Amino acid sequence: MSGLPILDISGLCKSYGAVRAVDSVDLHVGRGEICGLIGPNGSGKSTFFDCVTGLAKPSAGAVKLDGQDITGWSLNDIARQGRILRSFQKTVVFSALDIEENLVIAGQMFTFPGILSTFGIGAAARNRVAALRERARELIKIAGLWDVRFQPAGKLSGGQQKLIQFASMLMPEPKIILLDEPMAGINPKLIERVVDSIRLANTSFGVSFLIIEHNIDVVTSLCKRVVVLDQGRKLAEGTPGEIVQNQAVREAYLGG
Amino acid sequence: MTQAESSAATTGRDLRAPFGLALVALACIAPLFLGNYPLHAIIIALIFLLPAHGLNLLLGYTGLLSLAQAAFFGIGAYTSALLAVHFGTPFYLNFLAAGLVTGAIAAPLGIPALRLRSTSFVMCTLGFVIIGQAIAKNWISLTRGDMGLAAIPKPYFALGPASFTVSGTVGFYYLVLAIAVLATLAVYLIVRSPAGRNMIAIRENETLAESVGIPTWHYKLVVFMISAAFAGLGGSLYAHYLTVVSPLTFQMYYSTTMLIIVLGGGAGTISGVIFGSLLFVGLTEALRIAPELRMIAYGFFLLGLVFWFPNGFAPLIGRLSSFLEKRK
Amino acid sequence: MFYTIIEQVVNGIVSGSVYAIVAVGMTMIFGVLRAINFAHGEYYMLGTFGAWFAIEHFDLPYPVAIVIGVVATAVIAVVVGNFVMQRIVGAPAEAGVLATLGVALILQNTVILVFGGSYKFFSGGYIEPVTLFGFTLAEQRILIIIVGLIVFVGLELMVTYSRIGKAMRAVSQNIECCAVVGIDVRHVALWTFILGAALAGLSGVLTAPVNVSVYGGMGELITFKTLPIIIMGGLGNVRGTFVAAMILGIAESLVATYVGLQFRDTVGFATLMLVLMWRPHGLFSAQARF
Repeated sequence: MSGLPILDISGLCKSYGAVRAVDSVDLHVGRGEICGLIGPNGSGKSTFFDCVTGLAKPSAGAVKLDGQDITGWSLNDIARQGRILRSFQKTVVFSALDIEENLVIAGQMFTFPGILSTFGIGAAARNRVAALRERARELIKIAGLWDVRFQPAGKLSGGQQKLIQFASMLMPEPKIILLDEPMAGINPKLIERVVDSIRLANTSFGVSFLIIEHNIDVVTSLCKRVVVLDQGRKLAEGTPGEIVQNQAVREAYLGG
Repeated sequence: MTQAESSAATTGRDLRAPFGLALVALACIAPLFLGNYPLHAIIIALIFLLPAHGLNLLLGYTGLLSLAQAAFFGIGAYTSALLAVHFGTPFYLNFLAAGLVTGAIAAPLGIPALRLRSTSFVMCTLGFVIIGQAIAKNWISLTRGDMGLAAIPKPYFALGPASFTVSGTVGFYYLVLAIAVLATLAVYLIVRSPAGRNMIAIRENETLAESVGIPTWHYKLVVFMISAAFAGLGGSLYAHYLTVVSPLTFQMYYSTTMLIIVLGGGAGTISGVIFGSLLFVGLTEALRIAPELRMIAYGFFLLGLVFWFPNGFAPLIGRLSSFLEKRK
Repeated sequence: MFYTIIEQVVNGIVSGSVYAIVAVGMTMIFGVLRAINFAHGEYYMLGTFGAWFAIEHFDLPYPVAIVIGVVATAVIAVVVGNFVMQRIVGAPAEAGVLATLGVALILQNTVILVFGGSYKFFSGGYIEPVTLFGFTLAEQRILIIIVGLIVFVGLELMVTYSRIGKAMRAVSQNIECCAVVGIDVRHVALWTFILGAALAGLSGVLTAPVNVSVYGGMGELITFKTLPIIIMGGLGNVRGTFVAAMILGIAESLVATYVGLQFRDTVGFATLMLVLMWRPHGLFSAQARF
């Protein structure tokens, strides 16, 4: 884990009128690193994600992905690269389709160069889809969803859908995944499974992570480094152990 | 092939290959025991199958409700008619031209139209039909207005010195049957391709589809054009079969019929559309049901679709489908 | 020359009034049900047929025929409203399109089946010409303009002061809150629909003496003219729709005189297409406003 950080954000600002949702935040995530982003409610974490992934345009600052400047790019342009993906708090899947279809769809546009090639009926197209299926099945097994793989995704539990969403994000073989409160609303029994999946994705596939999370146990066990936001500004940065003991951080959580 | 692909309602896979082939074989020998009038009914049903396939791709698979099929049907009919009447070109030329011209025209129409919200989009597609009829009525130098174009020659094929004219109901029946089978095959290939999967993704959840990198707007445009081309090809057959085209080829009634075929037969399934066409168009034509009664039946059927059976006949066909699958 | 233009504009105001009476009904229905009523023109046709039937078969005088036409339309609207329109409340847009298409097919073709497809002659109405300010107009046309104004003013008053009017406004603005404050949404939807359909029927009855020919398919053309009006006037916006209707009436009249009669019926949709392609949100505010 050395060299250029996979995600390098400097001086990011986002203002909505007079309100500064994000105020000059610097953040970087190294290759293969799992980094946590915490802070009290309203500290600008989700807005930060929005600016990085193209849902919102930053008012100032720069976002560099693997050395490439993607500041201000649109959601679709960023998504189509497949190198940086972002989850949403609300879990969405293609409810009527089974897990494998969900995953294959999630991976298709990153394998096929363009619309016209997706109409292909030749061996090349079929091979690509076969490769996608292979990967999909692998991910289904890792997520422990093999037994329910034929069920329509909409019929599965919230936690299982979260796993599907997570697996979908691994299909394009991204460099870094931004997770927005991945443990929210998940049955405590499944949390361990999700944590394991994240760790597995990190070690087996080398995917970096930047995770917004409120569950301190999860943050401590998963993240190597944690950044704390408060009212749009970076308050502190360090290992989970350091952060937990940081006076300013404790005040922000209790006083804010 | 996953087990899930076999549920016809979600991915439209037609597994009844032997059954389908048997049906095609049956259709091939049908003229031996069916009189001219039933054959005529099937011809009309198969002609309408083409625009219905197109609408199915647009509505059933991509989730976009459009009333424009009649407009492209008309454009295809007139294109073919004009070529045949003014230049005497062989059928395959008229036929292909109809598809190409219609597909091409769909592009400048679809680009602004697809920016609209669903209600406005539906209005816009209706507008295409109305404007189409107005143009057909008023561009008299081209279309001869209300008089229309008559005496469209029977389809003929020319290969070097050899030429061959399709005449008679039976001849036309085989021509249309062949084209219908090819068209169904084409739709099947599209639906099975990765593009087909993306179309379904757009229908199921457009925002989610966007977020996994699917360029939804581009797909909608491409499918709109393909759908239009299918309608144009159907129009070409219609023109050659009736030997007359008039501004009445552009009427909303045709769009409504195609809508019923797709929704009633089962949107998002190929077998459903074939069934729908044979049932709603073929059967009603064969029984010589008065047009008014037919439309009243359509009306009640539409109400039924909205309130009671949104999937049309798809569940029944699905049951037949799984029954056949287990038998193998 | 100038005289001719004024004359055409006056004619345009007459047809504009006809359209306005029909269109405000359709736009109100959209405001409350969020559904485009593809069958709206059929109620215009039903009103006409009701009046025609009263005159042809019972020899009733025109004023009575007006009442019968409107009542007949209202009765059918009650049936359609109960079985179809009420169920569309809260349904996705496509459901409304398909359901009202279905109703249109049924109404139109039942009438053709029962009364035959031929054109009927409408005798009756105040077709005596009257001269005002140097213009000669049939009395009926003046009646149409007057009724148009009455309808507009009446609706404004009803919506502002009456209880049902306020309920209509509430439903069109925020349907979820209405259930909470105790407004019976389906009830409001039903009565808005009946009112809208009855207005269309009224328009049909008033126009019949001017159009003279009555036939089962006449509703479709009205639907195709009303759709552009309500979209360009702003879906649910009664005032905008009224203005758009007048503009269309006048535009049609001028086009018919100076460009060609054959283009008259296309003006509405052609303009709509141009607007949709260039200004997707219509000309007026699309906020449902009564």
